[in-house]
Amino acid sequence: MRKFLAVVKREYVQRVRTRFFIVATVLGPLVMAGFTIVPGMMIGMKSGGPTRLAIVDQTGKMSARVKKELINGKQPDDDEEQTRDQPPVGNTNRKEQINQAARRFHGSYQVEEVPLNGRTIDEVKKDLETRIQDRELDGYIVLPPNLLETGEAEFRARNAGDPFTSNYVRGAISAAVRGQRLADARIDEKSVETASQPIDLKTFGSGGQENKGQAGFYLVFGVGFLIYMSVLLYGQVVLGAVIEEKETRIAEILFSSIRPFPLMMGKLIGVSLVALTQFAIWGVAFVTFSAVVIAGSPIALPHIPPTLFLYLGVYFLMGYFIYATIYALVGTMVTTTQEGGQLAMPVVLMLIAGLFLSFNIIRSPNSPLAFWSSMFPFFAPITMLVRIVTETPPFWQIALSLAICLATAVGLIWLTSRIYRVGMLMTGKKATIPEVWKWVRQA
Amino acid sequence: MTDNTKPTLVLEHVTKRFGDFTAVDDLSLQVRPGRIFGVIGPNGAGKTTTIRMIVNITIPDSGRIELFGQPMKVSLQDRIGYLPEERGLYRKMKVGEQLRFFAELKDVRGKEADARIDRWLEKLQLSDWKNKRAKELSKGMQQKVQFITAVIHDPDLLILDEPFSGLDPVNVELMKQTILDNKGEGKTIILSTHQMEIAEKLCDDVCMINRAHKVLDGPLREIRRSFARNAVALQIVGGDGLLNDPALVANTRQHGEELEVLLVPGANPQILLKRLVDAGVTVNKFELVEPSLHDIFIEKAREAA
Repeated sequence: MRKFLAVVKREYVQRVRTRFFIVATVLGPLVMAGFTIVPGMMIGMKSGGPTRLAIVDQTGKMSARVKKELINGKQPDDDEEQTRDQPPVGNTNRKEQINQAARRFHGSYQVEEVPLNGRTIDEVKKDLETRIQDRELDGYIVLPPNLLETGEAEFRARNAGDPFTSNYVRGAISAAVRGQRLADARIDEKSVETASQPIDLKTFGSGGQENKGQAGFYLVFGVGFLIYMSVLLYGQVVLGAVIEEKETRIAEILFSSIRPFPLMMGKLIGVSLVALTQFAIWGVAFVTFSAVVIAGSPIALPHIPPTLFLYLGVYFLMGYFIYATIYALVGTMVTTTQEGGQLAMPVVLMLIAGLFLSFNIIRSPNSPLAFWSSMFPFFAPITMLVRIVTETPPFWQIALSLAICLATAVGLIWLTSRIYRVGMLMTGKKATIPEVWKWVRQA
Repeated sequence: MTDNTKPTLVLEHVTKRFGDFTAVDDLSLQVRPGRIFGVIGPNGAGKTTTIRMIVNITIPDSGRIELFGQPMKVSLQDRIGYLPEERGLYRKMKVGEQLRFFAELKDVRGKEADARIDRWLEKLQLSDWKNKRAKELSKGMQQKVQFITAVIHDPDLLILDEPFSGLDPVNVELMKQTILDNKGEGKTIILSTHQMEIAEKLCDDVCMINRAHKVLDGPLREIRRSFARNAVALQIVGGDGLLNDPALVANTRQHGEELEVLLVPGANPQILLKRLVDAGVTVNKFELVEPSLHDIFIEKAREAA
């Protein structure tokens, strides 16, 4: 036991102290933030100031409305619905935020009305085209006289391929036309808006409890993603740790001092603790950051029962451990980390398969497929969680799946340690499967 | 200390196969306490496999290994110090921490471990390197660090596989002295090496393994005596004809300045000396040659081939 702890301590201390760990821990969140925020900013970035549009109004009464819609940034219909879908908590705040974001995304608009002044429409168009050529204008809108009847308008722009602007323009004209049609029919616009408000569907489980399925489902995906990330990040570390000892022949001294099983277990737990330390730091940083940034604007955190948190934690550890062991197992058979990464990939893909399975399971959480996949240790960390948040299965099923996971992890470590002991005595080449099988029986 | 009457280590009919390849075949040997036991043999003879079985890294397919009077088991590993042929240190770990880790793996910890580490580093002139990473050390230094990992827990049995490879002459002497010190403390030492001159000087007993089999075993002195070939190393001026008596001389070989004269079995070397002196030949060197371990090794290896 003390030897086991010595191994855990070494793996942990040596890794946590490395510059790489410190840099990765500090830069990790920054990089992640960068990946989520920067692309958004880059798309939203509007180079060269506001978009300058001209309106040629042949109806004689629409230009004011269209201009208002364009400048006020009333969004196209789909955006509007998304806004309404938000929970009522902090509604105005939320809506405002989204509008702001949308404005940033669409950029701002400068709109001018171009009166016909007795010229023919073709003359005006020709004139506007010249102005576009001269870069005085980015585009223009022609509202034909029968706009309200046909619902057809014309938009010409230098950059006609820009779908964001043309969508935006379409939305603005639609809104203007709708408003005008309602006004013509003498219907109050405001009351129509109120009447069109979508209903709020509250979903309840059959037990009468309000179902938190949706929020839970996102959490499960979060956990799945976390397992995937940590396996990718730290699987390599486990792989490297095993290969280093094989390459440098330290394994021989280790095996003359400690049994293979506690050695392998110690390595895995040591590296896992490093991973958990990193995640804990990130978690705390994230929570503090959110608390500081979002202070005042209450974000509707979904209410989650503490038992669910417990399950999330336990299954995360299970999933991580099972897949990390795969990397250790692979490490005993190969000579370089690159080789090992390739060999471990098919197994890690099972994790993704588990994620896909959960789309089916969420619709029928008690099907045989759901049951069996939540008993299969490589899927269970995700599929069982999905079942728990949708239609919690009887406790014995959860316990059974956990037991299977645990047995798998321990079994894999046992197998790994056996292969390690024999494999490290052989040098220089990648082992074949029959060879490995021989080692297992030999050790 | 160790009981002087019982052998420290006993191997009985030990066999180890890897697939179709037999690495060690029906090997039996005994290592007596307080002595240096040399294991010699050509590359691939099965020395390392034998040693790995002794330290319980691999387990024999058949046969029995008994250590300190008990069947081999995990708990006995802590009483063995092992320096493997292929050395390994964690490259990025500092020497002191590294030694600390290996000490803990042998159940030596706390202040005791620190004290021992400092003592050994000083003894092997490595104190200045305690806080350096292993990869910054020269090969010879790494070798010495590795040696410390083998002795840090004060083992009763020390197994050294090629302890001198990669060391310069000064460090070879230092290592030899350290090994002899250990012997002086009553420890049993198993020494596997190719370097016959060193084995010759250090070992009390020798076992030679070739192609998985034991070909020789016993106290070094007895082995050499049994291989005595009645040979004389000569350095003379003149008197060449005297060596042509077939009743006395079986064969002669020139080695540079020296002449190796192999006498007829049973012939008395003193007769040859007398004849030389009587004939007025200048005798610069007249030495009865015992076969070196090197010669025995080569002879045995050839025999088997």
